[in-house]
Amino acid sequence: MSRNGRAAGPRVVVTGLGPVSSIGVGAAAYGQSLRAGQVGVSEIRSFDAAGFPHRYAGEVRDFEPDRLLGRLDLTRWGRSSQFAATAARLAVRDADLSSAQIEAAGLGVVMGTTSGESQVVEELTARAVAAGGGQAFPPEVVSQLPAARLAYAASEELAAPGLSVTLANACSASNYAIGYAYDILAGGEAEAMVAGGADSVCRWAHAGFYRLGALSDRTCSPFDRDRTGILTAEGGVALVLETLEHARARDARIYAEVLGYGLNCDARHMVAPDANRIADCMRLAHANAGVKPADVGYICAHGTGTAMNDHAEAAAVRMVFGDDPPPMSSIKSMLGHAMGAASGFGAVAAVLAIHDGFLPPTMNWANPDPRFDWLDPVPNRSRPAQIEVAQNNGFAFGGNNCITVFGALR
Amino acid sequence: MTGLLVTGAGVVSAAGLGLTAMTTALTAGSPLRLDVTGLFPQPLPYRSAPVLASFDARALLGRKGTSSIDRATALSLVACGQAIEDSGLPVAEMADRVGIALGTTVGSLSSSSEYSRETLVAERPYLVNPMLFPNTVMNCAAGHAAIRYGLRGVNSTVAGGQLAFLGALRYAVNVLRRDYADAMLVGAVEEFSPHSAWAHQRLGHEGPPGEAAVIVVLQRPGTPLGDGRRPLAELAAVTSGYRPGGHAAGPGGRMAACIRQTLARAGLQAGQVGSLAVSETGGGPVGQEMLAEAEEAAAPGGSARQVRVRHVLGDCGAAASALQFVALLASFADRPADGPPVRPALLAGWSPEGAFGAAVIREPAASPAAV
Repeated sequence: MSRNGRAAGPRVVVTGLGPVSSIGVGAAAYGQSLRAGQVGVSEIRSFDAAGFPHRYAGEVRDFEPDRLLGRLDLTRWGRSSQFAATAARLAVRDADLSSAQIEAAGLGVVMGTTSGESQVVEELTARAVAAGGGQAFPPEVVSQLPAARLAYAASEELAAPGLSVTLANACSASNYAIGYAYDILAGGEAEAMVAGGADSVCRWAHAGFYRLGALSDRTCSPFDRDRTGILTAEGGVALVLETLEHARARDARIYAEVLGYGLNCDARHMVAPDANRIADCMRLAHANAGVKPADVGYICAHGTGTAMNDHAEAAAVRMVFGDDPPPMSSIKSMLGHAMGAASGFGAVAAVLAIHDGFLPPTMNWANPDPRFDWLDPVPNRSRPAQIEVAQNNGFAFGGNNCITVFGALR
Repeated sequence: MTGLLVTGAGVVSAAGLGLTAMTTALTAGSPLRLDVTGLFPQPLPYRSAPVLASFDARALLGRKGTSSIDRATALSLVACGQAIEDSGLPVAEMADRVGIALGTTVGSLSSSSEYSRETLVAERPYLVNPMLFPNTVMNCAAGHAAIRYGLRGVNSTVAGGQLAFLGALRYAVNVLRRDYADAMLVGAVEEFSPHSAWAHQRLGHEGPPGEAAVIVVLQRPGTPLGDGRRPLAELAAVTSGYRPGGHAAGPGGRMAACIRQTLARAGLQAGQVGSLAVSETGGGPVGQEMLAEAEEAAAPGGSARQVRVRHVLGDCGAAASALQFVALLASFADRPADGPPVRPALLAGWSPEGAFGAAVIREPAASPAAV
């Protein structure tokens, strides 16, 4: 395989994983669920879904931030910030980074999100509806609104001194965060970073996707001929990225190398994906990572479960990979669509695929789509595989495409 | 040193359209207060505020693509158009290499809150308008800017509240340094709405909130400049960090250290800064302390002119530090050709949670090729 042509600078590796998801909290539980094809979808509890025709989502049922966090005062932070901070804490614990190492490495945090503190917006809205105006906004709730607080919560929890920023690039935001953190390390501005994303299930997104005709009743079946759409989901996810030198000096476990990423914008439509631009984005990612299509052994799909996404994503893969594309599965068939956290969950899946040697499955799959019957979606059962390079797709409203590429450390 | 060039600016504020309208209002120094009582159906906590009371998105942007956009997006689109025109950037010829990094607090709070409200008050909770759904997502304005102006490069939205502009600036610097683009539109937006006005008032902030969109064009040296254009400034350095425990926990010195580091990267020392702007949002004793910390680090003994915008333009949230940035930028443009050099300018920002950042700009070298 070729990894030539990459920008000079330190190599960057993944040393810690912190998923907080509907299929498991922590790297071990999450990895086991991916392997077992565990589906995390359940009847919605975060809001009263009684009036909705569809009432299922990928909620994090066993989210207990108070048991996992070290420093953060939970009363001051909204649910998405708590997801971000908990994911960051789990990732740092998984990486076995001490407080002193966090300070010395100048550790920074980049978090991605679609709707930030959406449940805080909904709480304020409900109060305004009840009282007939915003005079009923409680100040302690208003102060939890800014989406920047997702990254701040993680920085606060970790007592991290570096850059702390939240990227609001909708459903590819975690990939943006990972890419930005990678750049900061490759550019020599820090020795360790935490990157990921967070979002919470909320009424307005549930209603919006339903009205777009994109919401499934209770099953997400990407790449299946009879797919019925997405399921909204939530969670937080974080990865510890370090320079290879920093990781080796402290004898850290290395899951995989961040080879690079690519990003571009459709600049054509706010909602509909553009296969040609997605293909362009894949080419940018491969060039940045110094890999060729033939090097890629697994694609962790954006795979939302809508016909529109399936067709665009499959068409783009065909354009870039030709007649012999690698297996491409969608973990959203298990997790649902965790919005700003989604591509972070994908990144963790790609990293575990490389490190643990398996392909996560596309669950709920029954029939090939005749428009892309060549696709191997790893149907319904994970399988062992040795993966050298994995690509993690992320697309979003606003035409915000971002694709990360990970490789086995060689 | 970044060596990156600021080559154009677009400003939409209560002072009107354009940078000159803003600087004129700042020079006059009187608070801009327009009657807002008839602007919205909902009750407001203020009778007057520094807003664009007669802003007409359709008149400025045309009918195409504007039927369902919200105010934050419309303000952003107007500012982007101005900035592109001001820079003369040949966007069509380099579309894959032009992007945008746009700062925000929560996107359009009125769009997301009204959408959420519909799920509560409509006959059925799902009877929301699908056309308006993209407005609830925070990258709406940047996505529309890409479509309208053909920006096919890196497209990013940075949620940073009062640090949003500095966050977007650092993000864009990274994009250009890593050679992912040749030019980036960088800016921030905040809209005035009943939702944002109540949020502001309930937090006990002084004075009324305002609204603005500000965009600057940032380019790699050696990339094409518009016909006959000269760069407005060189972005010398931008740095940021976080202080665990927050700034209210007493003097921290971390922002001062950040400012010193930013100056060092720009090849400058304390005292060489000619003008200085520090976050005005939040104010209070912590604000006073942070201002003192910034002055001590960058301009000890009050050796720099302090640039303020809030008393005139209101608290413009995410757009506030972007307004300060272009106010600093304007000081370079005002210099007569044979006048003495204008000293570099420093923009510093902080958030109540503990984040901070700083950027230094200076006069561009006489010949852009020499940068």
